Amino acid sequence: MQRFVILSKKDLDAFISALAQSQKVVAPVARGHNNFSFAEVSSGKEITLKYIPTILPPKKYFLPTQEIITSYNKRENALNAILEYEKMVIFGVHTCDLAGIQCLNMVFADKPKDINYIIRKNKIAIIGLECNDYCDEYASCHVVGNHLPNGGYDLFFTDLGDVFIVHINTMLGDELVNKAAVFKSADAKMLKALESLRQMKHSIFKDEVNVKHQELKPLFDRSSNSKVWEDLNKRCVACGNCTNVCPTCYCFDIIDEPNLDLNTGVRYRRWDSCQNEPFAKVAGNENFRKERSQRQRHRYMRKFKYPVDKYSRYFCTGCGRCSRTCMAQIKLKETINDLAKETQ
Amino acid sequence: MRKPKVAFFDFSSCEGCQLQVANFGEALLDILGLIDVVMFREAISEKSDDYDVAIIEGSITTSHDIERIKQIRATAKVLIAYGACATIGGINGMKNNFDLEDIKKYVYKDDAKYFESIPTHPLHQVVKVDYFVHGCPVYQPEFVKVLKCALAGLLYTVPDYAVCTECRFNENVCMYDKGITCMGPVTRAGCNSWCVNNGNICYGCRGMLSNPAQEGQMDILKKHNIALDWVQNKMNMYNKPRELDTEPPANNGHIG
Amino acid sequence: MKRIELKESEYIVAPAKILEARMMTAQEKYFKIALEGGTSLDHEPGQFVMVSLLGIGEAPISISSSPTKRSYFELVVRNVGKVTNALHKMEAGDSLGIRGPFGRGFPVQILEGNDLLFVAGGLGVVPLRSLINFVIDNRRDFGKVHILLGCKKPADLLFANEIKEWGKRLDVNFNCTVDKADPDWKGNIGLITSLIPGVNLNPKRTFAVVVGPPIMYKFVLIEILKKEIPQKQIYVSLERHMKCGVGKCGHCQIAQYYCCKDGPVFSYDQIKGNLEAL
Repeated sequence: MQRFVILSKKDLDAFISALAQSQKVVAPVARGHNNFSFAEVSSGKEITLKYIPTILPPKKYFLPTQEIITSYNKRENALNAILEYEKMVIFGVHTCDLAGIQCLNMVFADKPKDINYIIRKNKIAIIGLECNDYCDEYASCHVVGNHLPNGGYDLFFTDLGDVFIVHINTMLGDELVNKAAVFKSADAKMLKALESLRQMKHSIFKDEVNVKHQELKPLFDRSSNSKVWEDLNKRCVACGNCTNVCPTCYCFDIIDEPNLDLNTGVRYRRWDSCQNEPFAKVAGNENFRKERSQRQRHRYMRKFKYPVDKYSRYFCTGCGRCSRTCMAQIKLKETINDLAKETQ
Repeated sequence: MRKPKVAFFDFSSCEGCQLQVANFGEALLDILGLIDVVMFREAISEKSDDYDVAIIEGSITTSHDIERIKQIRATAKVLIAYGACATIGGINGMKNNFDLEDIKKYVYKDDAKYFESIPTHPLHQVVKVDYFVHGCPVYQPEFVKVLKCALAGLLYTVPDYAVCTECRFNENVCMYDKGITCMGPVTRAGCNSWCVNNGNICYGCRGMLSNPAQEGQMDILKKHNIALDWVQNKMNMYNKPRELDTEPPANNGHIG
Repeated sequence: MKRIELKESEYIVAPAKILEARMMTAQEKYFKIALEGGTSLDHEPGQFVMVSLLGIGEAPISISSSPTKRSYFELVVRNVGKVTNALHKMEAGDSLGIRGPFGRGFPVQILEGNDLLFVAGGLGVVPLRSLINFVIDNRRDFGKVHILLGCKKPADLLFANEIKEWGKRLDVNFNCTVDKADPDWKGNIGLITSLIPGVNLNPKRTFAVVVGPPIMYKFVLIEILKKEIPQKQIYVSLERHMKCGVGKCGHCQIAQYYCCKDGPVFSYDQIKGNLEAL
């Protein structure tokens, strides 16, 4: 049974403050220059409700930028598997980022399962927040089908003016609502208001590129040798920003770090990027993606082609972060349109 | 096991990188538990010609420097280039922008004839360097990392990706979003975007990526309306002597 | 932040001991290794392990021995990076860690009963040896066997004594070439591609298995295809820099495949046409 409750906007502060009493709460906060990031908050006042996608997506809580996976003691020739985790609530996750977390879930649950990811994920409660309108011109959430909620949350907030209507999706979500004791039940009028908001969104959100949802994969299937990649070769500086900010990029490196005693230490994994020159290099310096054009193509194929073959799902969430962060102004929407134009 | 003997040497430099060691605080005690510092002008008065590890600050700017660094190389089992002057030539490299005689006259005026000078070289252009600790000044945590590798006899590979990577990890607001240009996209990481974390831009003090995207960088400058010569000056502030490289130095951003 | 110890994790290593270590060429060192507690590695020919050195890191290394040898396995390591550099300093009696075996090896069951053409260039003989020796140990189960080896110069030849034995066998057609000979070399001179046209084979019932450096595949495959061996009957083993070994870290990705999990052995039919594959 679908269950909705109502939170008066003035009670958001009380809700967040109460949550923050018992566990870590992270939410979008403003960083200046129209930049935002998920950070720990202790009250609702610190949260920016109207925000464009944060610098890093919430994946940083699921797959930390740097994460210890084992610790060792050389003298004893011993190595132990380690998990570091934190129980927390993430508040204010947009539908694009919910989709991103769903993609990561698929990858890390794929056999062999990644125990560190799975346990950590289950310690995190997710509260979604609906976008009533586009965040900015970089977003392409409609064409990948992420402008509306598709699950992946415990609670989901939709702004209806003076109140939030909240969808309770899981028992954990229900617990959070009950504990806070500031939610009221939703009446038919509120449900109607939610419905008409969703109706209105149909007229606001339109395919952002000249390619239909189901045509994206075939487009990339035939774009292997496109000239568009050559153009990107000239523009890309291979800084790796596009992959680091991507909610579905999960590549990592594994590095040993001895302590100063040179006997004990840890092995950790750290985000890596296929855009970095050494990423696909092997011993003897052969590099399978030496050119920036190949690396950019690989990035796009990893969003629109390879995961579709493997998981039947686009790994682009339409959040627009890669375009927003790119100093060279390589824009995803533009790339797709250029590819479409070329292969028509 | 005998603790390795470590000696610090300085060539053309401000000695600020050695000061970073003195500023280490508590971690210094742990480090001193591992090594035996036999020469360190900034903190101890002893001198010794018996050492295993030579940590060199500064760049090579006279022919006497060449003889001296070769001597040190012949004695040391391990040679560490320490700080931007030693690893990429650094600030001293700006001299290479000018005619040698002109610049001598500019600096020493009438006494120029008493001074001998050669174009600025980072150490690896003169002797084999085993480890590179980049930065102006060096980033202390990276120095500790390199020291651990040197003591354990392991290779240390300087990251060959841009400072932007670490800067994104730290979720700094991009300087380009603030309308300010920054050397991050073409500069080797490894400093944990130290300067940007503290509100400054990246000046490129760690040297350029092994394959920087010149064309793309120019394109970015055009889009952001940034004058090319301004950036070239910025780039050359630390990186001018790279023009004298005949081949990329080993372990300095290659696979490891 | 809570820190707990995990009983299961893909990153746990099995302790192992070096039984024997010796330089094989100027650049490659041979290791005979056994897992502690007498456990068998139980690998398939063509699989690889992650060799783990505490405080230094891990490196993916092909298993060179046939699984018919149960009590130990063999690796041959070229000194090219931090981990392999440290490995080269290790000797018999030293301890290390092993993760794996990983990946899909050579399709032994499919090869059974058929004629085989083995082509190895340079270090390629290291993983291919696991299959060649498996076939030799079960010689009756396979048809004709052709082995073609190539390397830069005679001094680079790996397993030279063993290879000599392959050459003497009645049930194996063996040929070997070097790019550049020395005065003592009496065999062929030239690229490995030059050996293929001379092989007398029945393409319908021959499976080709090719392992070598990336540059070699393009040219060898042209020659093999000229022999009209069907594309499904050609197998390659691809080299990539695996970091995790379990299909996550992305370093070894070839199109939708993870070389560490879906490979390193692929049929030509499966992998051709994929970007940056061959």
